[in-house]
Amino acid sequence: MSRALPGRGSIALVDVNCFYASAERAFDPSLEDRPLVVLSNNDGCAVTRSPEAKALGIPLGEPWFKLAPRASEWGLVARSSNYELYGDISARVMELLGRYSAWLEVYSIDEAFLGVSGTPAELQQLGYSMKTAVRRNVGVPVCVGIAETKTLAKLANKWAKHNPAFDGVCHWDAVPAGQREKLMAGLSVIELWGVAARLTKRLNGLGIHSVLDLARADPVRIRDRFSVVLMRTVLELQGTPCIPLEEERIGRDQLIFSRSFAAPITTGAGLRQVFGVYAQQASARLAKHGLQAKVLTAFAATSFYNPQASSHPSVCVPLPMPTADPVLLARAAYALLPRIVDGVKYVRAGIMVTDLRPTGNQAPLPVFENPHEERGIGSLLEEVSRRYGRGSIGLGQAGIRGGPDWSMKRDMLSPRYTTHWAELPIVKAA
Amino acid sequence: MGVIIGPRVIDAGTSLLSVLISPVLVAAGYPSPAQDYFDGRIDLNEHLIKDITSTYVVRVSGDSMEGAGISDGDELIVNRALEPRDGCVVVAVLDGELTVKRLRLTASGVVLAADNPRYPDIRVPALSDLVIWGVATRCLHHV
Repeated sequence: MSRALPGRGSIALVDVNCFYASAERAFDPSLEDRPLVVLSNNDGCAVTRSPEAKALGIPLGEPWFKLAPRASEWGLVARSSNYELYGDISARVMELLGRYSAWLEVYSIDEAFLGVSGTPAELQQLGYSMKTAVRRNVGVPVCVGIAETKTLAKLANKWAKHNPAFDGVCHWDAVPAGQREKLMAGLSVIELWGVAARLTKRLNGLGIHSVLDLARADPVRIRDRFSVVLMRTVLELQGTPCIPLEEERIGRDQLIFSRSFAAPITTGAGLRQVFGVYAQQASARLAKHGLQAKVLTAFAATSFYNPQASSHPSVCVPLPMPTADPVLLARAAYALLPRIVDGVKYVRAGIMVTDLRPTGNQAPLPVFENPHEERGIGSLLEEVSRRYGRGSIGLGQAGIRGGPDWSMKRDMLSPRYTTHWAELPIVKAA
Repeated sequence: MGVIIGPRVIDAGTSLLSVLISPVLVAAGYPSPAQDYFDGRIDLNEHLIKDITSTYVVRVSGDSMEGAGISDGDELIVNRALEPRDGCVVVAVLDGELTVKRLRLTASGVVLAADNPRYPDIRVPALSDLVIWGVATRCLHHV
């Protein structure tokens, strides 16, 4: 469960605009102002569209084979999903945001909730500070929505994103009530965070169509007819915080395990245990969905109640090969441990796995399994690959160029600029 | 990789905390009793990078910065959080490319200067017309 914020705390939702596309642009300025799509695994379909690509009318999820014939006519650029880059940029964003609040909840690869306090004017200012810092320091644009509840912060964020007048930062309470109602009246309930598509029909049957309709509904009636979950949404829309921290989430292309501890953990050894548990959970969940992961992010957070020692270390680790193996996942998460300062009270930690792919598409894996792992072959391969590039070494059939990723089509992959020495961004001295 | 030389360390205009270790897999095992007497080997991250969240490493292509001790193939440590000042070696966006230049802020305007007489200076009316990607703090020069 999430801890309630002390006093009249507010919640800021910070998320990166068109995250994957923005991460690509941070290292390739030639992509600026051009329509850009980032493709799903195997270069299947557009999972992220730059505003220019949206303006062309390209729908989310449009298969690349349909777009490719018109790409040159449109000046459309496509990139394969570069999860190592996105993971590292995400870790940087989260760590930077953690400096602005003693309470940060990583919600997904590109969004976080922060506990903040102050007057609407102060918070608006804080929002701009965060926006400026992330843009300048890390290199990606963010929008900030601030409100008293997570649901309203989501709405404020959405508004900040779509209404240029806000310049990327919207404090819900700073907007006149009339305007807020107008916004909510214009939004269908289906657009609301946490409202499943299948619910909308039943809601419509009750005359609840817009977010405003839901905000005006009787929470108890909603609980009786639907669920406690939907009642919470209604309460949140009315300004009462009640959505707890979720401990496990499955996104489109990521899996997150995160929880608060009953008692703070103050040692690396303690966190090591925690990461071991998460790794097992993640492993089980991946196996259940027939998936393997290639990138893992591990993070930890100190308490809201202890702002003096606020710390939000976060680290992104490319896995040596796609895996659902708990041992490998745990080892990857341990990369955060050197960042853990003994004596600091960590109250929450989590892992996120991305670059998920079906288990079936596997390279010859058995050579990587545990008996060999103990001989250090896996880590040797990883070290060689890290130093000399992917595909420079492999076992048996995996030794062909293309390396462990052979089954994945990623023809338009940008360099892994921040995680591989051989793929650093090039700056011209000419 | 060889000796590290740099144009100079630019005064950090930021007070952000900066404890960091590179994001690599670390083999964790049982602590050795000798650890009590051992503070660890020199960690270049600790000494060369002030703020991990805003620091990137880039590789130089070309010889226009030879005069600053920056050669083709060298790596630069670039901090995006620093305020670009007169005399800094910066990475700027020019024609959609990341380009390394020395920044000159003069009374008559902004100049992106090469540190090699064979390359012309580039004049820009104002700093706001420029996208400065980051400020180089160190050059990892290959000797």
